Amino acid sequence: MALPLSYSWRNVRARPMRSLLTTSVIALVVLACTLLMGLISSMQSTFTETGHELNLIVLRKGSDNDGSSQISLEAYQAVRYFDGIARQPEGDQPLISPELVVQPFFRTLDGGRENVLVRGVEAIALDVHDQVHISEGRMFKRSAGEAIVGRGVAGRYEGATLGEELEFGRGRWKVVGIFDADATSFESEVWVDVRELASDAKRTIPFSGARIRAASKADLETLERRIDDDPRYALDAKAETLYYEEQSSASATLYIIVIAVAVLAGVGASFGAANTMYAAVQARTAEIGTLRALGFSRGSILWAFQAEAVFLALLGFVLGAAGAAIAAEVLTSALGGVAVGAETFTTSVIHVRIHSGNLLGALILSLAIGMASGFGPAWRAARLAPIEALRKA
Amino acid sequence: MDAPMIDVRHVSRHYLRGGDDVHALDDVSLSIPAGKFVALMGPSGSGKSTLLNLISGIDRPSSGEVIVSGQALPDLSEDELARWRARHVGLIFQFFNLIPVLSALENVALPLLLTDLGKAERRERAETALRVVGLEDRLDHFPATMSGGEQQRVAIARAIVTDPDLIVADEPTGDLDAKNAEAILDLLRTLKKGFGKTVVMVTHDPRALRFVDDAHHLDKGLLLDDDAAERASAALHASMGPGPRTTEVEP
Ligand SMILES: Nc1ncnc2c1ncn2[C@@H]1O[C@H](COP(=O)(O)OP(=O)(O)O)[C@@H](O)[C@H]1O
Ligand SMILES: [Mg+2]
Repeated sequence: MALPLSYSWRNVRARPMRSLLTTSVIALVVLACTLLMGLISSMQSTFTETGHELNLIVLRKGSDNDGSSQISLEAYQAVRYFDGIARQPEGDQPLISPELVVQPFFRTLDGGRENVLVRGVEAIALDVHDQVHISEGRMFKRSAGEAIVGRGVAGRYEGATLGEELEFGRGRWKVVGIFDADATSFESEVWVDVRELASDAKRTIPFSGARIRAASKADLETLERRIDDDPRYALDAKAETLYYEEQSSASATLYIIVIAVAVLAGVGASFGAANTMYAAVQARTAEIGTLRALGFSRGSILWAFQAEAVFLALLGFVLGAAGAAIAAEVLTSALGGVAVGAETFTTSVIHVRIHSGNLLGALILSLAIGMASGFGPAWRAARLAPIEALRKA
Repeated sequence: MDAPMIDVRHVSRHYLRGGDDVHALDDVSLSIPAGKFVALMGPSGSGKSTLLNLISGIDRPSSGEVIVSGQALPDLSEDELARWRARHVGLIFQFFNLIPVLSALENVALPLLLTDLGKAERRERAETALRVVGLEDRLDHFPATMSGGEQQRVAIARAIVTDPDLIVADEPTGDLDAKNAEAILDLLRTLKKGFGKTVVMVTHDPRALRFVDDAHHLDKGLLLDDDAAERASAALHASMGPGPRTTEVEP
């Protein structure tokens, strides 16, 4: 039978200062990596959770985002009468939302400048994008110079509070409502009346594109094909969820960068922990000789020291993960989220949340640090010859 | 009493140290009967520990045979030797060599982890062993909170917990004051008398001679014959100065 785990654990506790120091280094690495992974996953989920699975986004062929697309009024009118579009429960209007997107600069409260996505919509947009709920104030009135702002925008930019005025384009826009959208990227947008925005922007073609709610999954596919194949307007329809996933593709690259950072930091932390473990082997040479003399095998010595290193790393994981959770909470609650530039170059305000996958990643990182840092010292301990080790008493 | 418990035949042990060949033991032959308490004596560096380590199977001879309880130790592989030690030998050291992070009870129960015994049984045996050495009220004490004498008694409990035939002790009183040293020597003698153990002890403490059945003397890696041993022993006594002494050395 091997040495009990309590032997390894108690040795970790027997040198509290040294263990705490080693653990803190690992904890810092875990904290940084967990937080970065959390940021990226939150960024990803901000986009991937945006959009409805029955929604289509209709753009001009060749445009990959609604900031660079234009569709004509006739095209919109034609699509509006296609079959398979869901209807408003009351009113019986087809659920199609014509939209115009512009990306003006807004001034942040701390003096910076950021591109913000301003979406011109009609009232029906609230039915097509049913993730969006007005939580304070009310919907804007048409042609009244009014705007509603997302939760991530509110309080972040000059004038972006209920009752104040935003300045962009040629006009001033009074903020009459604040909306939530389940932490999706809509929360980083400003919504105004589409026709008012078009005339402010002096656009002759009033729409960037349209969003359509299909009546069913099958209708979504039929509609998509029909819009894509219509020879008259050169339109491109795409599932809205897919569209937002593509918007988040940059985060995959970021993820790889974070993994590289985690590996490098992990190697650094491993050296620190290995140092501690080598010192422990050195200090306990006679003890190792005693255990071997009593009949414990090289293998059980190896495992006891390996376990000790893993305990240090797991302790680091617990501290680091807790630290990351606290930091994420502070970033989101106290600072109102983290602003990042998305693919479309408008700013998205991310609610940083540590996902279980991030914790799993950090746990694997910690275990790797524990295994890597423990192996050399444990191997040295296991290879000590009992008589030589006993002479160190 | 008759079959030799330990049979050391023409054993040499050489160490290579910085290119030099150190003859720690040179052609030593020695036989120790079962159920005896035997001392290995001699000046520092004379090879006492080396011989003891060969007898307890912690070390291997460069040449020669070491047979303990009929088992030729050099024939065993490293793992077999470790298992053999765990079963047949109880080890006692000068500096007690207790595990600091384990309580007295856990230290004593440690060798039982190498057996098939269940947890309850292990605890019970460890308690019994601690009762034998008179420490039944110290089960949960850690080594650092105990005196040297107490620690050595815990170590003795650890040595007897597996009920081995042979107990080896390397200068068990070397780090203790006179009173504690006597108590430990007395305890070792009790293990022989009361439990029929064979006890081999390395010491250069002449007081030990009162407790042992037999003493063998080493010098520079050689085992001294009886005459030379007599002289060595007398010299040792003379060096102690005046005072009442008894010698119970059997010729
Ligand atoms: N592992 C070793 N490596 C080199 N020399 C050793 C080793 N162990 C013992 N020796 C040498 O062998 C001789 C006998 O040592 P030892 O048996 O420990 O003596 P004693 O126990 O009688 O003091 C000494 O000269 C010692 O330095
Ligand atoms: Mg010695």
